[in-house]
Amino acid sequence: MVNAPPVDINQIKKIINDYKDSQWPVMPMVEHIQDEIGYIPPQTIPMIAKAVGLFPSQVQSIVTFHDQLYTEPRGKNVVRVCRGTACHVRGGKAILKSIKGRLGLEDGQTSEDFEYTLETVSCMGMCAVAPNMTVGKNIYGNMNLSKVDKVFKKSEG
Amino acid sequence: MKNRRTIFVCQGTGCQSGGSADVYQALQNEISKLKLDDVKVDFSGCHGFCEQGPNVVVEPDGIFYTHVQAEDAKDIAEQHMKNGKPVERLFYTDPATGKPEAEYSKINFYAKQQRITMRNCGHINPESIDDSIESGGYSALGKALKMTPQAVINEMKKSGLAGRGGAGYPTYLKWQACHDADGDTKYVICNADEGDPGSYMDRSILEADPHAVVEGMAIAAYAMGASQGYVFARAEYQLAIARLSIAIEQAKQKGFLGLNIQGSKFNFDIEIKEGAGAFVCGEETALIASIESKRGMPTAKPPYPSESGLDGKPTIVNNVKTLATVSAIIDQGGDWYADIGTDDSKGTAVFALSGKVANSGLVEVPMGTPISTIVNDIGGGIPHGRQLKAVHTGGPAGGPIPARYADTPIDYGALKQLGSIIGPTVEVLDDNTCMVELARYFISFNQTESCGKCSACRLGTRQMLAILTRITQGQGRESDIDMLLDLARTVSETSLCGLGKSSPNVVLSTLKYFRAEYEAHIREHKCNAAACEAMMVAPCQHTCPTGINIPKYIAHVADGDYLACVDTIRERNPLPAICGRVCNHPCESRCKRGELDEPLAIRQLKRWAADEYFDNIDKIADPEPFPVTSNKKVAVVGAGPSGLTCAYFLAKAGYAVTIFEAQAFGGGMLAAAIPEFRLPNSVIDKEVDYIRKCGVEIKFNTPINADYTIDDVKKDGYSAVYIATGLPMSRKINVPGEDESIDGFYSGLTFLKGANLGEITDVGDRVIVIGGGNVAIDCARAAIRLGAGHVQLSCLESREEMPAHDEEIEEAIAEGIAIDCSCGPKQVVNDGKKVKGMEFVRCTAVFNEEGRFAPTFDEDDKKIVEADTVILAVGQGPDMSIIPAEGDIERQPNGRLVIDSNTLALTQKGVFAGGDFVFGPAMAIDAIGAGRRASISIDKYLTGDKSPVVMQDTKADVEILEAKEEAESDNEADEEWVPESRPETPELPLKDRVNNFNETELVFSEAQALKEATRCLRCDLEG
Repeated sequence: MVNAPPVDINQIKKIINDYKDSQWPVMPMVEHIQDEIGYIPPQTIPMIAKAVGLFPSQVQSIVTFHDQLYTEPRGKNVVRVCRGTACHVRGGKAILKSIKGRLGLEDGQTSEDFEYTLETVSCMGMCAVAPNMTVGKNIYGNMNLSKVDKVFKKSEG
Repeated sequence: MKNRRTIFVCQGTGCQSGGSADVYQALQNEISKLKLDDVKVDFSGCHGFCEQGPNVVVEPDGIFYTHVQAEDAKDIAEQHMKNGKPVERLFYTDPATGKPEAEYSKINFYAKQQRITMRNCGHINPESIDDSIESGGYSALGKALKMTPQAVINEMKKSGLAGRGGAGYPTYLKWQACHDADGDTKYVICNADEGDPGSYMDRSILEADPHAVVEGMAIAAYAMGASQGYVFARAEYQLAIARLSIAIEQAKQKGFLGLNIQGSKFNFDIEIKEGAGAFVCGEETALIASIESKRGMPTAKPPYPSESGLDGKPTIVNNVKTLATVSAIIDQGGDWYADIGTDDSKGTAVFALSGKVANSGLVEVPMGTPISTIVNDIGGGIPHGRQLKAVHTGGPAGGPIPARYADTPIDYGALKQLGSIIGPTVEVLDDNTCMVELARYFISFNQTESCGKCSACRLGTRQMLAILTRITQGQGRESDIDMLLDLARTVSETSLCGLGKSSPNVVLSTLKYFRAEYEAHIREHKCNAAACEAMMVAPCQHTCPTGINIPKYIAHVADGDYLACVDTIRERNPLPAICGRVCNHPCESRCKRGELDEPLAIRQLKRWAADEYFDNIDKIADPEPFPVTSNKKVAVVGAGPSGLTCAYFLAKAGYAVTIFEAQAFGGGMLAAAIPEFRLPNSVIDKEVDYIRKCGVEIKFNTPINADYTIDDVKKDGYSAVYIATGLPMSRKINVPGEDESIDGFYSGLTFLKGANLGEITDVGDRVIVIGGGNVAIDCARAAIRLGAGHVQLSCLESREEMPAHDEEIEEAIAEGIAIDCSCGPKQVVNDGKKVKGMEFVRCTAVFNEEGRFAPTFDEDDKKIVEADTVILAVGQGPDMSIIPAEGDIERQPNGRLVIDSNTLALTQKGVFAGGDFVFGPAMAIDAIGAGRRASISIDKYLTGDKSPVVMQDTKADVEILEAKEEAESDNEADEEWVPESRPETPELPLKDRVNNFNETELVFSEAQALKEATRCLRCDLEG
């Protein structure tokens, strides 16, 4: 197993410093940390709490409330498969099944080599070209099983 | 931009996912190669028709190209831009007519819309403020700044604009409250946390016309005295956020944002805040909490945000769609906007149309537009020849509106009355959608997104989900429906915010309109839509009322093994040759192949196998009679499809069975009422003969009536009786001259029986058939074969309302039968001996508002049609003389028998009934299904088994599975799947149909049958 990349505490301290005096600092702060690090390392919670004058449990409760704030390291490529109504009707289930098999991951899991994280989302708002998936910032519509093959060949190759 | 042609390449998220960035690049290359200086290649935001994407529009010609790829750039540049010949192969194809349509404005999807909120979407470059200004952008802001803030609010009041997020709260009220509130610091928030599954209007507007939102926010801020605005957007909407950021930057440079806007004293700035994945943040108090970096949980109102919102300051939260509409209203005036729409809902409704509809996309129509216009005209109808079942509006907060309310106008009041809301989404559901599964899906969404603050919502949605899940898995309990209702009401009444209050709507609506589906799931483990996979093996088998193992027999056809195929059919249905001809094949409507190209021709394959079997009957050994292993005897009354089936399966189970039949022949209505050209009597005879050889005794010419009653039958040693005597009585309409003693007047059944048995041979030249059902069509088609020169079918209903099957009506028209709709029969004109004609009045409506049969007529609009023969075929009824008026067989107040729908038992011990006799007119296959159910139930009764009847689907045996899996693995190697249509049903040429009763529908050739069978997707092998 490859270990998660080490966390640069100084980088985090700098982000916390940049935001701590702004109005309503916690959300932009944690969003920025996540943008840089990929997730919000648990050791940063007390640091944030101290900087903004909250208890660590309060900061933790904000972080865990949001589905898209993560407290564990994530894969380099985040694969999101839409499970919205339109995608459901047009075969999104089979797409998810095939990707699960391919990556050997269940919904929410990250591969041991931190290459991939698999997630489902409620709706991406691209229902007209359902079923949809994204890998990182790349969006793929009108998916079918042979397209899934192509998407992963591309990101592997 | 003027005086030159512009190619707009859509760069919305949907089109980008289809490769529109490459198209844009390729077009730029091609145009510069050709040095066409008068052509500009530009990009636009979303047109709202993403499924046709990538889309390209050429202005000012208004040519709309669909599914454009980079390879097509050359043709567009050379053929269209250089030589002036638009590229036809890229035109949009109308799903209804199949014809190509070049112009944007003529495509039905757009032509029926009125775009105000989305006025610029797709027509301007969203990253260019100059484009926006040229299209009228920011002129409303200039106008507003010259008005007093109160005057701006008054204009909003006049417009009647209500919140477009769904709740429909008047926008001006929020503004007024915020305007009137004390304090120097106030905020405007744009809610772009669009999270409802299936909706993407906010994203599209932000991507296609972000300046409209910026301008709307600035006007709102001016009206209430705010100097800071926030846009709260979903993190998923990266492109929308990027375009909005550009728009804000450009607006600052042009002096539409910032200090002293347009030389006034008004200062305003906008900042974007990204959400982090919490649906509940769409609720305004939760959204405010989230901006304040708190957990995004709703708080109790009051205080309303307009008094105490962000940071405790007066705040308004408006939706993207609301704000994008503001500048149009200020520009053109509140009165102009209020003129659009209905009395209580002003302006337009904006929503995403999706689901089982030919055109899905973003739609903006005046409030009050009927749902049917949206589905049929804009949406292009329902594909694959399926039926509209319901329209679900409002997403997770709404509910389904059944198809019978399709004429309901879209407005706040009308939808609320039906238990739904004006949605961000309009989802079209066809008859293959299971309403229990729909409820489960949305409750699952609401359960996941419940913030957890209110225990009713947190725990109630979880409990509802558990119950719905077990129902869809065939493990529902009898008490579940009451429990769901109880939970739904509790959650709705005791939750704080909109999410909790509205989340049970879908449960309440589906239970109100589709309760029978819940009951079928719980009691019979049946999913009508064949969508709940846990309960079935294959959708076709699950839908067949007799539960034939269809995938297995299709596999036998593919092997050319008709014997095994007929054996498989007879496991559930002893009448393969009959059903191969006249079954209405509900199985085909659920066939998964139908979603890809066309459903399998399941009925025709059955016919092929059955015909092969009977053609080769000489080579096949006669069946051995089933051994009688029980000492109990069973009587069946009526040798129609239901009686024959019940007798066959009881004999198979080891009982001695006798059928009592009033007529001299078997087959019941199949023989008496279905004309020879659809179902030859020889076919019925062969099937009846087979059943007799299996050991069933049939006593012909032996009616059960006052002379020989059910009690007499029991006294003669029969331990159980199954009554399946069908509907042998013709219904009357009570008009003068309705008298079978008059020469030339017949009831439908008398006529068909006479024609079938050769007793009626002459009908004269002119024949009128009254009725719009299948029996009426059969009468008309029989009359033309008896030599009538002119046959007219007159019915109450309009063509769309006629209950006869479409394919039957089309056959009749092809054979030369005239159909005269909306005719109310007034009297049979006669001279006391002989029919002379028929008098009609015009029927103005057949059904009342509740959808009940209650015809109304225009008595002044009369006509008399001459005729030699009048046939009245308006329905049939049961002969109740078989049931003694006194005795312990109970009836309901409406005269129908009291019956247990699971066991088909009547209230007298040992007496059962089924088929049309108890359930009213239905299809042959339903009667056969009831016969099989009765056989199981009677066996249970006679062996003392008290458990309910379960008609379980069965899986194919292993041998075929293996053979088929090899074929499957071959198929999977194929890269792309190729559509393949089903073979046309072979038919007797029209010229050969006159003056004879030869069968009109012919059978597949062996090659056709074997090939068709390989189209089966073998759903039974999945999972």
